[in-house]
Amino acid sequence: MAGMELLSDQGYRVDGRRASELRRVQCRLGVLGHADGSALFQLGNTRALAVVSGPHEIRGSKSKALHDRAVVNCQYSMATFSTTERKRRPHGDRKSIEMSLHLRQTFETAILTQLFPRSQIDIFVQILQSDGGNYCACVNAATMALVDAGIPLQDYVCACSVGFVDETPLVDVCYAEEAAGGPVMAVALLPRSEQVAFLSLDSRLHEDHLSGVMKAATVACRDLHAVLSRIVKETLQEATAGE
Amino acid sequence: MLEQRQREMRVRNVLGGRVVREHYLREAVPCHSALCTRCTRAGKVLGADLTHFLTPDCTVALHYLEVLELPQLNGLLFTHTAYQHVQHKSRRLYQRLRRLLNSPRSDCVLFANEFQLGAYVDRRPSETHAAWQTRSVYHAAVWYHKHLSKRIPVVMVTVDPAVVEKYGSATEGVYVVPFQVYLESFWPDVPEASEFLGSLHQALITKEVESCRGRKREFAEHLPVDVLEAGIRAGRYIKGTVSMNKHKAHVEAFVQQHRLLSKDTGAWKEFLGWLNHGVWFSSDATLDDVLVLGMKNRNRAIHGDAVAVELLARTEWQGRSLTLGDVGRYDCPQEESHGEPMPTGRVVGILQRNWRDYVAILPPPEEGPTQGRQAQRLLAVPWDFRIPKIRIATTQAAMLQDVRIVVRIDSWDSTSQYPNGHFVRALGKAGDIETEVAAILIERGISVLPFSEAQLREMPTDSPTSPWAVDPKEVAQRRDLRLSHLIFSIDPQGCEDVDDALSIVQCDGLDSTIEMGVHIADVTKFVPPGGPTDLEARSRATTYYFADRRFDMLPSVLSSNLCSLRSGEDRYAFSVLWRLDKETYEVKDVWFGRTVIRSTYKLSYETAQAVLDGGHIEFATEIPELCGTEDEQQVRLGELRDVLNILTDVARAWLCRRTANGGLQLEGSEVRVEFGGVPGTVSGITPKKALEVHETVAECMIGANTWVAQRLFKSLLGCTLLRRHPPPRPELFGPLCNAGESQGFHIDISSNKALSDSLEKTKDHREPLVSHILRILATHAMSNALYCSSASVPQHELTHYGLALPMYTHFTSPIRRYSDILVHRQLLAVLAAENGDFEDSEVMPSGTYLEEICQHLNERTRAAQKAQKDSVDLFQCLFFRDVNPRMEESSTDHRVADALVFAIRANGVLVYMPRFALRGAIFLKDKEGRVASLMADGTCDFRHGCLIHKKHEIVSQPSDGLPFVLRLFDHVTVHISAEQHRAHADTLHVHLLRLEGLNQQGAHPQDTPSRPRDHMVREVQRRAMVDVEQGRSSTVGPPACPLGRESYRQSTGGLYEFLEEFEEIALMEIGKKPLACVIVKEADQPTSQSMESE
Repeated sequence: MAGMELLSDQGYRVDGRRASELRRVQCRLGVLGHADGSALFQLGNTRALAVVSGPHEIRGSKSKALHDRAVVNCQYSMATFSTTERKRRPHGDRKSIEMSLHLRQTFETAILTQLFPRSQIDIFVQILQSDGGNYCACVNAATMALVDAGIPLQDYVCACSVGFVDETPLVDVCYAEEAAGGPVMAVALLPRSEQVAFLSLDSRLHEDHLSGVMKAATVACRDLHAVLSRIVKETLQEATAGE
Repeated sequence: MLEQRQREMRVRNVLGGRVVREHYLREAVPCHSALCTRCTRAGKVLGADLTHFLTPDCTVALHYLEVLELPQLNGLLFTHTAYQHVQHKSRRLYQRLRRLLNSPRSDCVLFANEFQLGAYVDRRPSETHAAWQTRSVYHAAVWYHKHLSKRIPVVMVTVDPAVVEKYGSATEGVYVVPFQVYLESFWPDVPEASEFLGSLHQALITKEVESCRGRKREFAEHLPVDVLEAGIRAGRYIKGTVSMNKHKAHVEAFVQQHRLLSKDTGAWKEFLGWLNHGVWFSSDATLDDVLVLGMKNRNRAIHGDAVAVELLARTEWQGRSLTLGDVGRYDCPQEESHGEPMPTGRVVGILQRNWRDYVAILPPPEEGPTQGRQAQRLLAVPWDFRIPKIRIATTQAAMLQDVRIVVRIDSWDSTSQYPNGHFVRALGKAGDIETEVAAILIERGISVLPFSEAQLREMPTDSPTSPWAVDPKEVAQRRDLRLSHLIFSIDPQGCEDVDDALSIVQCDGLDSTIEMGVHIADVTKFVPPGGPTDLEARSRATTYYFADRRFDMLPSVLSSNLCSLRSGEDRYAFSVLWRLDKETYEVKDVWFGRTVIRSTYKLSYETAQAVLDGGHIEFATEIPELCGTEDEQQVRLGELRDVLNILTDVARAWLCRRTANGGLQLEGSEVRVEFGGVPGTVSGITPKKALEVHETVAECMIGANTWVAQRLFKSLLGCTLLRRHPPPRPELFGPLCNAGESQGFHIDISSNKALSDSLEKTKDHREPLVSHILRILATHAMSNALYCSSASVPQHELTHYGLALPMYTHFTSPIRRYSDILVHRQLLAVLAAENGDFEDSEVMPSGTYLEEICQHLNERTRAAQKAQKDSVDLFQCLFFRDVNPRMEESSTDHRVADALVFAIRANGVLVYMPRFALRGAIFLKDKEGRVASLMADGTCDFRHGCLIHKKHEIVSQPSDGLPFVLRLFDHVTVHISAEQHRAHADTLHVHLLRLEGLNQQGAHPQDTPSRPRDHMVREVQRRAMVDVEQGRSSTVGPPACPLGRESYRQSTGGLYEFLEEFEEIALMEIGKKPLACVIVKEADQPTSQSMESE
């Protein structure tokens, strides 16, 4: 009957989080042995698998090669079983193409492409399970995969989505909150310099609230950064301890 | 942050696909109990002095929420499980529950058990949802009990015996009991609780029975919400609020459109009209109101509901009725005259029900069928004419005879002719003053419970043992005006809460200026924002004034003591000081700030006027502060007179300037109810007198308000609380123009200046009452002054039409208006920000929140005015009630009065009775269609005949007897009587006695001769004596009465508010209703809040 209450008077969200809390973050590096770099990233129930290959020679038409930097090639797809209703087409639809483009824009700024002229870096990301914040999961997964592949980056790229309900920014919105139709902003940040690699905003948000939402997004990205760098360190420690 | 939290996942099966949802649990969920030492205290806390906590299960929370709302029940612990259950089942109840939880008054909290690691239980496979919910609530109760180290028992109430059996004795200290048993054993002293439970239970049973029984459909089904919303977006349906025509509630209803865009211009309306009908409306045809005729078309909408209407084809459009209706008489005259056809439609769906508590009365026994001991289903008749009868089931029908009861509506199915409701509580015997006042409070949605412990704890103390004194530290931060300024206050006689004082100091420096000051009680010093007192004051929004009592917004220690600027006592104030040019009174400089003052004189308006006029003053009683030796007295009196003279001059100069800009001087018909010695008797009703000093004080306050508004707007651009008065709708000026025309005056309504000038010209008329009445009519045409946030309204609409000011706010009465408290805080924040101190500005409400507060204040202010009017009506009816039939024909009867015709209707005229400042309708045609005719002896009687209705006159032509003509502004003699209604408020009826005016009467209210009043007083007293002798002494009456007026009098300026706002009286409610049919009168007592328009 009544619509879902996204933020209760006591400050709880539908899944019991508070407004500024992220979902549980889990990540494993090097999940696929044959790839140059891979990572499985989980943001709550959203799972993304990212695979990186390269830098390698340009595949296909050589005319695409750039003389001063590497070409970043991104491909985004969603597994047919990732949503409640089975998807017909895992990739190649408009939404996926747009998402691929967004990912390319994000990583072209973050990867030090000028170190690899006339070569190509491929990033393939697949959403295995979708529960809101697909873009953000993809960016984080891809970052980890890039780290795993040892490709030089300016910084981690951390992405987080922020919704806005009852004058309060909600960090890391899940599917239920996304589906309610409020404004959702996705931000990809280079946390150390706080440079914005990518920013998109669905539906309208009043200018007055923008700074508040941005602030919440920045804090969330820094939190993510802390988690991601810890995971990388742990993975490295494990790897070195095994040797 | 993330890692410190424990969490679990859970998988849920939702209908259809498999949905996996996350569910995070944490250790730190506040338990909201004062006994707990571990949890953080946030928000409301359950007290440590409770004997037990009460936890309702899901069913109880859903179906019996209203019982839980009773203020007697305390220590309520709602679980999140029950909360969510209510949310899923009913939006209306969910909103109720939220209000209950957020209300600072109630003693209940919400425990988020589903997010607590220990309190949460997983749903077992194959367990039903309901069983899981019950287990979850029980588990939460157990956890809670253990969390508080088993110091306090927790009682879980349910209605399911199986639950009691299963969990009843599972844990020590946690009891599971049936709700009925719980109420009977724990609250034996609150019998109404279990009665109420029974009543709700009956209503539930009835509903179930009804839903089983297939019956004929009485109404069309409502369309689902998504269809309605799509239709509204597409322009197929119109969204609006239903309001009934009070006089023809069973036939006519109007749907007032919600504003679609903030720029609701004519062009937009035209466009809309074209969209909907493929025709262009001429620009003057408003699409604002949609007429809904008949119960079928109204389709179960109740007054106040938000609905969607579909317009009928243009050929089916009808006009609204123009005849004088008689409240409560459903048998209307056969032929009716109708106005121009207007958009007519039918209700297709309800967007939101706005049901509230209704005061009602059960029908007399012979009407209701008796069914022995069984629950009877009865049709309760609501007090409000606009509400349909409500079907309730009760077992106590016999006990509730002639008792006003409170009823709530539960549902209205399409198969039922009447809505189903349930009985809530009894108010008392109909006709008792206490009952009637309680009824008014409920009908107007006013809740005035005594101030709670927490609120009173927040207040400073001032008792004989520990008197309150100003704090030297605080004084150091304020400007000290105690010795430098001669400060005095002018208020109505015997007022207790003085919130404004004035001062004048002549500066004999080089520039030779005058320093004038307005000092306002510094309420914000005592009311911290967000505290319990602040929240309570916000929810009350204003002090409610009734004819015989008042309900304060702030606890009395503030309103009549520490914030009241009493003479000879040090008080904190918020001052506005102007430096004025000595000659022109131009403002050269203005200063705002917090001060400490000590008022020297506390004057009444009458005394101040006497000082000015040099009249005789009884020093000992009127100005005790002045007492002393004869010489000293004269010197000090001279000093005071000088100061008052300057003040009057300044006010005159300011008023002149404002009038030149188009400020309107309008008149309302304020009356004062005077009480006799015997409780419950009214000894007289007199129009208020206006003295020049009223105007002077008013002008000073207007000045202070304006300067504050400008200062705020300049600095707090975007979130200033302002008061705007939009220009009136030109179509409402019809009666005024018509009345003016009949006397040869052209009333120009193009602007406030033009209107003011044309009204000024009418003063030349030989009859002073003409000008008075025209001003009253102009007042009726005014729209309502509103509070608004400056951010939500374009700047050119922030103007105040009546006062002709570009910007206005309320600053001068923080004791009795919450808006003023907010303005004080805003001004403080502005001043602090200028000193580089930004701390204060954090707590300011802004943006949409401020706008919400403004809406609330507007709504409460309107309710306060209506309630005040209702209460004056109540006492007026008491005054005119026929106590002694022998007096009927005597010429000295106080109910015979002179009256002036001021409007002509198809079947009667509207008259104004100057002696009582009362308006009423005279029917020239009775129910059988007979018309009033003139008898040989000059009296009137009803005979067969016809009425001819023209623009300025009405002609009665009986078949036998003499025809007569009534023109506008003709004097007639009328007889006023009160008619008692069983179910509704009493009404006044006016009958035509003679065609010529009453000689001894006809005085202008400004100079009402005191003789008839004295006479009246004697008359009523005499009659009261007779009553006592006959052993019929009136036992009813408010306890406040014997104490006299002092016990409830309160300061209010009177005239300044009267100038600043205008009352729109029932005569014309939003242009929907035919002009007044009831006696409409407006009254005001100490306060003049009523000038605020409806």
